[in-house]
Amino acid sequence: MSAPVVPPADAAGAPDPARRSPRAITRARRRASAARFWAQFRRNRSGMTGLAVLAVFALAAVFAPVFFDRSSLDVTQATGLPFEPPSWEFPLGTDDVGRSVLALVVWGARISLVVGLAATVISMVIGTTIGIASGHYRGWFGGALDRLTDWFLVIPFLPLAIVLATVLGRSLLNIIIVIGVTSWPGTARLIRAQTLTVESRPYLERSRALGASNTHQMTRHVLPNVMPLVLANTTLAVSISILSETTLSFLGLGDPTTVSWGSILEQAFSSGAISQGAWWYLGAPGVCVVLVVLAFNLMGRAIEDILDPREA
Amino acid sequence: MRTTRLLALAAAAALTVGLGATGTAVASGSPSPAPAAAEPVVFTVGMLGDIDSANPFTGIAAESYEIFQLEYPTLTEYASSDFSIVPGLAESWEESADKTTWTYKIRSGVTWSDGTPLTAKDVEYTFNRVLNGEYEQTNYGSYVENIAKVEATDDTTVVFTVSKPSPIMEKLYVYILPQHIWKDIDEKAVTSYKNEGTPKEPTVGGGAFVMVERKVGQYIRMQANDNYYGGRPAVDEIVYRIYKNEDALGQALKAGEIDFAEGLNANVAKSLEGVEGITTVSAVYSGFDEIAFNVGAALDDGTAIGDGNPLLEDVKLRQALQWAVDRQALVDKVLGGGGSAGSTVIPPIYADLHLEPANAFGYDPEKAKALLDDAGYAEGPDGVRVDSEGNELRFRLFSRSDSPTSQKSSEFVKSYFEAVGVAIDLKVVSEDALIEIVGQGNFDMFEWGWVVEPDPNYQLSTFTCANRSYKDGEDIYANLSDSFYCDEEYDSLFEKQSVETDSAARAEIVKQMQQKLYDDSPYLVTFYYDNYEAYRSDRFTGFVPQPDPDGALLFQYGTWSYESIKPVVKAEQGETGAPAASESGVNWPVIIGIGALVVVAGLVGALLARGRNKDIDSDDRE
Amino acid sequence: MSVLPDIATVPVREHPRTGTWSSPTLRYVVGRVLSAFGTLVFVVLFNFFLFRVMPGDPISLYTRGRAMDQDQLRALRSQLNAPLGQQLLEYLTNPFAGGVDSIRFNEPVWEVISPRVPATLLLVGTATVIATLVGVWLGIRSGWNRGGRFDKVSTSTTLVLYSMPEFWFGMIILIVFSVQLGWFPVGGLSTPGTDLGTPAGWLDVAWHLVLPVTTLAVIYFAEYSLIMRASILEERSQEYVQTARAKGLMDSVVRRRHAVPNALLPTMTLVFLNLGFVIGGAITIEYVFSIDGLGSLTVVALQGPDVPLLQALFLLFSAAVIVANLVADLLYGWFDPRVRT
Repeated sequence: MSAPVVPPADAAGAPDPARRSPRAITRARRRASAARFWAQFRRNRSGMTGLAVLAVFALAAVFAPVFFDRSSLDVTQATGLPFEPPSWEFPLGTDDVGRSVLALVVWGARISLVVGLAATVISMVIGTTIGIASGHYRGWFGGALDRLTDWFLVIPFLPLAIVLATVLGRSLLNIIIVIGVTSWPGTARLIRAQTLTVESRPYLERSRALGASNTHQMTRHVLPNVMPLVLANTTLAVSISILSETTLSFLGLGDPTTVSWGSILEQAFSSGAISQGAWWYLGAPGVCVVLVVLAFNLMGRAIEDILDPREA
Repeated sequence: MRTTRLLALAAAAALTVGLGATGTAVASGSPSPAPAAAEPVVFTVGMLGDIDSANPFTGIAAESYEIFQLEYPTLTEYASSDFSIVPGLAESWEESADKTTWTYKIRSGVTWSDGTPLTAKDVEYTFNRVLNGEYEQTNYGSYVENIAKVEATDDTTVVFTVSKPSPIMEKLYVYILPQHIWKDIDEKAVTSYKNEGTPKEPTVGGGAFVMVERKVGQYIRMQANDNYYGGRPAVDEIVYRIYKNEDALGQALKAGEIDFAEGLNANVAKSLEGVEGITTVSAVYSGFDEIAFNVGAALDDGTAIGDGNPLLEDVKLRQALQWAVDRQALVDKVLGGGGSAGSTVIPPIYADLHLEPANAFGYDPEKAKALLDDAGYAEGPDGVRVDSEGNELRFRLFSRSDSPTSQKSSEFVKSYFEAVGVAIDLKVVSEDALIEIVGQGNFDMFEWGWVVEPDPNYQLSTFTCANRSYKDGEDIYANLSDSFYCDEEYDSLFEKQSVETDSAARAEIVKQMQQKLYDDSPYLVTFYYDNYEAYRSDRFTGFVPQPDPDGALLFQYGTWSYESIKPVVKAEQGETGAPAASESGVNWPVIIGIGALVVVAGLVGALLARGRNKDIDSDDRE
Repeated sequence: MSVLPDIATVPVREHPRTGTWSSPTLRYVVGRVLSAFGTLVFVVLFNFFLFRVMPGDPISLYTRGRAMDQDQLRALRSQLNAPLGQQLLEYLTNPFAGGVDSIRFNEPVWEVISPRVPATLLLVGTATVIATLVGVWLGIRSGWNRGGRFDKVSTSTTLVLYSMPEFWFGMIILIVFSVQLGWFPVGGLSTPGTDLGTPAGWLDVAWHLVLPVTTLAVIYFAEYSLIMRASILEERSQEYVQTARAKGLMDSVVRRRHAVPNALLPTMTLVFLNLGFVIGGAITIEYVFSIDGLGSLTVVALQGPDVPLLQALFLLFSAAVIVANLVADLLYGWFDPRVRT
């Protein structure tokens, strides 16, 4: 696996590998390393288990309308009695107004996953940008960004998120923004360290000497090299985002008009599910959160193992 | 069955306390119960909110009023049986024939808890303090509006001179304060005066109990007043313990940490039903919830304000919406059955005043649709109705983040309205924020409720033109009106009832006003909710419901229960504090269910994590 | 949940240097203190501007639902309409809400906050101590016998615990141990009327603390044990440990005398760095267990929102974490002279 293997498909366009354009070479190399990565990932049992669990939830979320009509979320059309324990009709029991908890959990998966992923994208974009820039620029600018990261790193996450959510108001978009802008500093810190390593490599020195612009250096040389780390970190960050969404919704800061796992938990808590002993109502969304978070964690660690960017 | 037993018991108790409170002949010399000699009888009440202040000029929370009425007497009281007026500190009272003065006869030989005589002078002092004090009027201003002069002509007589006749004059719910204590607290000091008793220095009061300790956010302790004119209560001490949520409250009762749980929700109350030693009460209550419509926000001078959707000014639209909501379903699903379908703004708990409209709006979505069609709101392309100019029937409905009930019933109402082609944008805001929004008229509909006093004046005043928002300088301030209803006929009826001192004649006017509001529909009254209470019937007995027979046992207008409850004396009652609930309370299916949940989670987790050890080690090797 | 970012924040070990004690140490300490102070200033400024950009009339934010007479209102208005610089100056002299009362409690914010500090300290403190002890013990045991049965079980368990929302775990143990079995009280910190100065009073508090502390501790010991395990593994492979073992020292002696003390350092640092997350956990845990501390207060404050109170709480939490971080840095420097360069 040590020598770069050129896939035949690419060779078709240019018979002589040596004369292919640099871009094509890069593309080929990337594709090869992706294939290599997948081959390794497939052998990682825990990573694959995580992926499988995740696939189940993703399918459930995508096909939620197929399994349960939207009207199963309508309180006035609830068919069950309040707090019915699990039965054949309601495999996960009913909630406080008689809706099927299974339907709620399946529909809730949509919001929870979407918020988790979208918030992570925001967090990754901010974190990677600031991380690379603070590592690349050596002067006051890099220092200032580094300081900023330090500061945000210290501010306790949940209080900050609460304050931001209060300022912005309750909506789906806002909760995504809140989680996104509060969880980037960890990533930025990690990316910065990696950037510093990459920057000391000879080819970057060469590129600098050849007069490449800052943007060119950062996007063409640094970014591709920190990408694997970003990927591993993203997977782990999604799990944090999902937990954050659950917590904020539980505190009543989520979008009141949508159903997410966190908002189901809030509803259960405020409607007295604890006193009622309605373990299915509290348990189902919680178990979903644990499974999905665990799945992302396992996948993240598996990716980390394979790429092991710290060896670089 | 449980209820019938309770009813019999409560009825008997009501009878005895009725005598105790009104008849002075009842012996009050040796009230101390037999077992109290060695150990004080402590009655512990769990509630969900703390008092906001122990100063009767400052506190406005329901919990605060509960404390005030225990500490301080009032001239008259509301009977436990039916809210009729009965003697309190005053033995009798009389309106003069020319309707210009009221003469109150005060009980003689009454003393404050510190032994100082309690006389008509204290009454005079208290009312003058309210009359002359700006700050003091915040809580009691409505009682003294028509009072021109207060004078104690001797130790047992107080004469009130009134500027115009008013039915409120026999319901002066102003707490009589000891002059010898409060004269030292001037108009400046009173604003920050805490009035919290300590074990060494209890508050000085004339009611059944005085405060001996308060720990903010945690508990309040009250001690029986030996000098209470109604006779020293059988309970030596009341402890109010503050809980953060209904679950904790219910569990504390189960565990025996408290003897009484006030303000439970339906689900918690249900979970307590059938538990050995606990009796739950779904008490009819004086509160209602409504969907309020913005019928045309304007200032008290008629200047339009706010951004309410003008379509709601159409009474036909509002009436159609009244038919669209299944109120009984709301009672069943949102309240868990603890309440009744709503109609008018004076709840049925006040049987003499409540009007049950003959032309009641039922649940009939087809009729609602037909009415909307007739009113010219045809169905638009996407199912949302439009008026003749093509404006969509799309409204904002605000619900309160502070109340799960509000959010849930709003969700129901949204669904009902949309079923007849009226689109709703649900918005959830805090109550504080909603006050602001409503005051400025920036809404279409909102969900909230009122707790109605035995005297209907205040509730009815919330629909008068004069009580719409007002402007002071550049700022608009909210007043009592939250639907901005304004109707000349209604206003004149309001004036009429406010000077009618004959209660039967007044009730007639009040009913006419309810009918008017019902037809004009500024409110869609969703339900009258019950107040869930539960208590350790294995420890205390003798509660008095208000009204009889299915009213609240505590947090009443009056202190009837506190004065009559007694500890249950059991022969074998060895350990009082030990919670006996656990043995019978264990719900094995739940334990097994959770066990299964844990096992599943654990198994899946272990499975997922099995390959991990190797991976972690490779992490660590770096 | 937070392993990766947290590790990243642990000061990077630089090349060891055996220099003079005084001047680098002093420079290190002063540098750290200054940096902490800088962070604090940033938080204060951030706090100030964040609430100034809130949509809506600031007056209405501060006066919501409160009866204020015209004089008070005018005073507040002039305060809020003053030039930003002047407002900032006033805020800096009194960062706890600039002297504005809490909306909900109608009292100066500090008077609302201060009586609730002990409850939170007790909860977070006890949980941290227990989580550390258990985490370290687990980490040592599984790290020293890597790949053993104990290691396998404890590592899988910690990974699962680690993926749980704290409050959910709290609700589940509440439903089992308080509601169904009735072994523990359902909420609060003490039974009212108990004299907290007596042993019986302490016992009562301890009784109330069992479930909330367990919840918090369980979530965090998982993390600490992973770190401890990792550093034990690292120490184990170090030369001096190998030498000590080769010399024929007993395994347990090597572990206790050599490996553990060195491996403790990163874990202890993490414990302090993690305080911010523990505080976050305390917010939901106090809410679930009805403990009247700063966490429950935060939940109350966000419902209004009671802006002055929320602002002050945010500042307080941040300040606590900044101080804890400083302590962690200094401790690290104290125990590991290599970082004091």
